[in-house]
Amino acid sequence: MSEAAVSSVRRKPQGLAGALAKFRQWDASGIFVALIVLCLVLAVAAPAFLSQYNLSVVARQASFVGLVALGQTLVLLIGGIDLSLGAAAGLSAIVGGLMLTSVGIHPYLVVPLTACFGFLLGTINGFFTARLRLNPFIVTLASWEIFAGATLVITKGYPIRPLGDAFQWFGRGEIFGIPVPVVIFLAAGLILSYVLARTRFGRNIYAIGGNRDAANLVGIRVWRIEFIVFGLAGMLASLAGILYAARMNSAQPSVGEGWLMGAITAAIIGGTSLRGGQGTIIGTIFGALLMAVLANGIVLLNVSGYWERVIVGLVVLIAILVDLFRRR
Amino acid sequence: MEQLDFEARGVSKRFGVVTALNDVSIGIAAGEVHAVIGENGAGKSTLMNLFCGRLKPTEGSLYRHQAPVTFETPMDAQRAGIAIAPQEVNLVPRLSVAENVVLGAQSGGSFGIDWKATRARALESLAQIDDTIDPDVPVFTLSKAQQQLVQIARAVATDARILIFDEPTAALTQREADRLFAFIRRFREEGGAVFYISHRLDEILDLSDRISVLRDGTFVGELDPTTTDKDAMVRAMAGRAVAERSATRATTERGDVVLKVDGLTRTGEFRNVSFSLRRGEILGIAGLVGSGRTEVGRCVFGVTRPEAGTIEIFGKARQLHHPADAITAGLVYLPEERKQDGIFPLLSISENMGIATMEKWRGVFGMRFSDMVREVETYIRRIPIKVGDPSDPITSLSGGNQQKVILARWLMKESRILILDEPTRGIDVNAKLEIQDLLRGLADEGLSIVYISSELQEVLDVSDRILVMHEGLVKGIEPAASATQESLLALAMS
Repeated sequence: MSEAAVSSVRRKPQGLAGALAKFRQWDASGIFVALIVLCLVLAVAAPAFLSQYNLSVVARQASFVGLVALGQTLVLLIGGIDLSLGAAAGLSAIVGGLMLTSVGIHPYLVVPLTACFGFLLGTINGFFTARLRLNPFIVTLASWEIFAGATLVITKGYPIRPLGDAFQWFGRGEIFGIPVPVVIFLAAGLILSYVLARTRFGRNIYAIGGNRDAANLVGIRVWRIEFIVFGLAGMLASLAGILYAARMNSAQPSVGEGWLMGAITAAIIGGTSLRGGQGTIIGTIFGALLMAVLANGIVLLNVSGYWERVIVGLVVLIAILVDLFRRR
Repeated sequence: MEQLDFEARGVSKRFGVVTALNDVSIGIAAGEVHAVIGENGAGKSTLMNLFCGRLKPTEGSLYRHQAPVTFETPMDAQRAGIAIAPQEVNLVPRLSVAENVVLGAQSGGSFGIDWKATRARALESLAQIDDTIDPDVPVFTLSKAQQQLVQIARAVATDARILIFDEPTAALTQREADRLFAFIRRFREEGGAVFYISHRLDEILDLSDRISVLRDGTFVGELDPTTTDKDAMVRAMAGRAVAERSATRATTERGDVVLKVDGLTRTGEFRNVSFSLRRGEILGIAGLVGSGRTEVGRCVFGVTRPEAGTIEIFGKARQLHHPADAITAGLVYLPEERKQDGIFPLLSISENMGIATMEKWRGVFGMRFSDMVREVETYIRRIPIKVGDPSDPITSLSGGNQQKVILARWLMKESRILILDEPTRGIDVNAKLEIQDLLRGLADEGLSIVYISSELQEVLDVSDRILVMHEGLVKGIEPAASATQESLLALAMS
């Protein structure tokens, strides 16, 4: 090989062909196509799907689990997992509810304060996993129980309600016709996408997930980043919890039950790897939307609700199979 | 025409658009050691992976005793009597040595494993390679070299008639390597056939009956080990002559002391290690595997904490709690284990190179990646590194080019002190010389380098002074100009 060829730098194709190749390489292209196809099928089979009311119901449904899924995606990216996120959402909803009713904090302050509380919950997991290097599966299994238990201890099983008209805006209100939880979900997604793609913190997350030892040896303060990631996951879960409580006008002890698996599922069908280092926020957003559209479609097409979980399971299997063949 | 035991006829292997092997025909007869040489990325490992059933050829086929065979899995190749001792150690850390040796081939009926017979077989294979390894300890307690030997014993335990050795001696000491060579010779006497891959050309001249040369995925010719020499081999691999270079560096008076290590101690790793490094100097650290040389490097970089002793960087005593502290102080470390500690397999070439220098491209709207890629490209040209597109994954590169990317990572950081741990391990002759020349040039520009290596000749070639370690102790420091391999060994054993 000649010297010139050795040091030459090849360029990728430009223009439409390049754009198409880029789309195919895009991690989220599969889930994107699946989501579009599913929406088209539903639009034809059940015209009610496209009504503004129905779409806003679907989007709002997606945003609660979606917020949790965004946090889970961050944790999965560093090669961890957080099983406590659903319970953290529930406990945060209760604490937020108490801030409103018992402490009497202004409704607009409750949401950011709850988010801070969620961040604290997350950093408890972060301390044990990042600082003490304990297995995140086991640590968060324990904190899941503790958070869920604390919720019951505080509430003794009774919901905290009503939360007041002003506060309900966070769950039921709209901004330019878009439900508030959806706006917050998409804003969080946008910010995180930017952070992951364009900031040093974000790139270090991918580096840690890809090779923790190497990340340490290039001078990345690994545990600090992992600690913050767990905190952010807790914060996003707490947002989901408090917004859901605002939606129901009631902080119920059952908030967040069932969100954990939904969140992991959304991240995985969105292309996030359980081994860390691979995945995108946009994929997770599509994943959460796909799950909500599926659930909605089952209702619209009068399929028995009992089938929902079977269908979700099948979708997950199909998603990882498609991924497998794409890699080949 | 001699009777070939096993051969490949016209095999090609393509990964997507990349052609790793192109129309290669190669064979082996019983009682023969057949060496395959070539630069990194020449296709040696790909070819061996076809032979042992890990990959399937895109074109062409394999023949065992003149009959075509297809290997769907490594098991198929083993049934055909072919086994490989791969370059990368690939053992189950928590299982015992004996279990690892016979893994997947335990003796026994339908009601469980016959542990007695299994153990006996494991011991038999192990004894042929190294009888000093305790068969009952878990593998993770062994040294790197011992793990390599266990890996080789596993290949032997399959009762294969054709053994493939891929860089078997990279981690071995001379004594262990000699035992391995004795085994290979015995195996050959008994009618076994061996494919042997190594970058150590002396070994190949010593051991092999036939040498095949690969270059850029094609077969370029055969050499006769009785008539050829190292220069001819290097020329055949590179397709060009290797530039001559000056024997040792001119020993001029160097600058100020930039790194001073005094009385550094970590129990079980090293004791009372002291040395200093001047501006523009290359200090070699020689020592066998387990001598503590890597541990010293990691400690000076802040990966581990010293129990006693001080580290002064640019005249300032430093408490290093994390590699980031060392990097801030101006000292960087290139780890020994490239795959485990060096590369980010999921990231691109440019991110792998730029990962330590991210703050350089921080902009108002986040990272300026286009600036990063531009700088990466200048380093790719300067070193030079053989790459397609900088946005390709790092895993698309050969080992030598990956190593150059990691080296460039630290050059980009513009640190004044480099600690390099086995920077040329598993790298072909030409790339090795290129890297060494690059380092000497950098030292001439005022960089200070600690060069850790288990290959004495390499340390002699590169360094100004050589520190010899043995069993955790510094045995002495000699100027490279007056040192020889023998004098260094004598110092180590003293």
